[in-house]
Amino acid sequence: MLIEFQQALADLVAAPEFCRQIRANPCQLRQRYNLSHREYDRIVAMVNHKGMALNCMLYRANRLAPLALNLPRFCRAMGPRLGPLLSEYSVLHPNTRVHFYLECERFGRFVQGKISAGYDVEPRVKAIFEEEFSKIKLGLFATYAAI
Amino acid sequence: MRHGKALVGLLNNPVVPSIIEYAPDLVEYIDVIPDRLWYDFEHGEAVGGRFHRVVGAIEELKQCSNGRVLGGHGIGLSLPSAIPLDMAMVAEVASLAKELNFEWYSEHLSMFLVSHGSVPNSQAGLGLPVTYDEESFNIISGKLEVLKRSLACDLLLENGAVFTPVPDTDFSEPEFLNRLYSELNCGTLLDLHNLYVGLLNGVLSPREYLEQLNPDCVREIHLAGGDELAGFYTDSHSGLTPRDVWSWAYEFAPRFKNLRAVVFEFHESYFEKLGLNGIAAELERMHELAETVASGAQMHVN
Repeated sequence: MLIEFQQALADLVAAPEFCRQIRANPCQLRQRYNLSHREYDRIVAMVNHKGMALNCMLYRANRLAPLALNLPRFCRAMGPRLGPLLSEYSVLHPNTRVHFYLECERFGRFVQGKISAGYDVEPRVKAIFEEEFSKIKLGLFATYAAI
Repeated sequence: MRHGKALVGLLNNPVVPSIIEYAPDLVEYIDVIPDRLWYDFEHGEAVGGRFHRVVGAIEELKQCSNGRVLGGHGIGLSLPSAIPLDMAMVAEVASLAKELNFEWYSEHLSMFLVSHGSVPNSQAGLGLPVTYDEESFNIISGKLEVLKRSLACDLLLENGAVFTPVPDTDFSEPEFLNRLYSELNCGTLLDLHNLYVGLLNGVLSPREYLEQLNPDCVREIHLAGGDELAGFYTDSHSGLTPRDVWSWAYEFAPRFKNLRAVVFEFHESYFEKLGLNGIAAELERMHELAETVASGAQMHVN
């Protein structure tokens, strides 16, 4: 089914680890999606195509863009810890919200939840996060007012 | 018969008004991305409905449009997706098309929306390639009919930047575009830079592509520049148009008798790098191209 083929493709570009799993064991595709033989062969060829790495990079860059724009100091302050945090967030929310403030507010709630649950963040980084997250909530509120 | 000189213009972004102020005579046409003129609250839970317009953006565009032609260039409808058309978004696009008097409206021949999303506008994160077969043709053509009724203007579809083409399809991309034109009168927005992206990443031959495409399809051309990322070349809209792209434009555009506009795309984050003078020089070069095409002459880029 085309709808399943498209979903499989979207799931793959969102998850490099899933790409690796499918390359190693393509039969997993059949367990997860209802694909015709032709669609199955297409997906297997695409996941093994060198361009799939670029698809995955662009997906990640596009997910990062709104966060880097609206939480720039927090992203910088997190340094190498940002990558794993973004990966965890992307797995939890694989689809982008097109309204940047909604996307950032969702990410902010995710970070806030992690901190509440004991995720270790330096007080300086936490203060930066709280300041930038407050601005996002204000920005989001302003867009609610625009009609 | 040719329509006359193609209009020269820009893809709208927040710095376009300053370019128009700097070089008003060079910008005759603006491609407007409707999705950048609203905030989409997806479920419509916000007071005032799902779409809230960006304050001041439409008024600014109306000022810029004085003496210019506007066209719509949408991202969000994702016509190739095997899910129903987002009718709330179609209504919003139609409302903008009427208010801003779009001469035509284009969408991307790429898949942006997926079925398992939790909201109507659940994005895949990037434009994904289309399976060029009968099923996709029927999905797209059905949605184009709805869009045509809603917008009451000409419709175009743009070739995307493809990094992993879908293999073993019934049609090539130009054959698919030719069929959309012959059966539905849906024109082609030919992004020459996306062909360059395909060439550098080894997934297509622009010359073969352009020879296959029915020249009558082409109503608009996009020019742009990109850059490298981890050994790949991307359509990042970060630079001026590469020499090869100009060369194809001069060689093939004289065949496009229905060509109405030539548009340069750049992302506003690269405005400082490109500079006002750099963009103005690009626009002047596009006017030379449009004049050459209108005169029926062919010229090669040295």
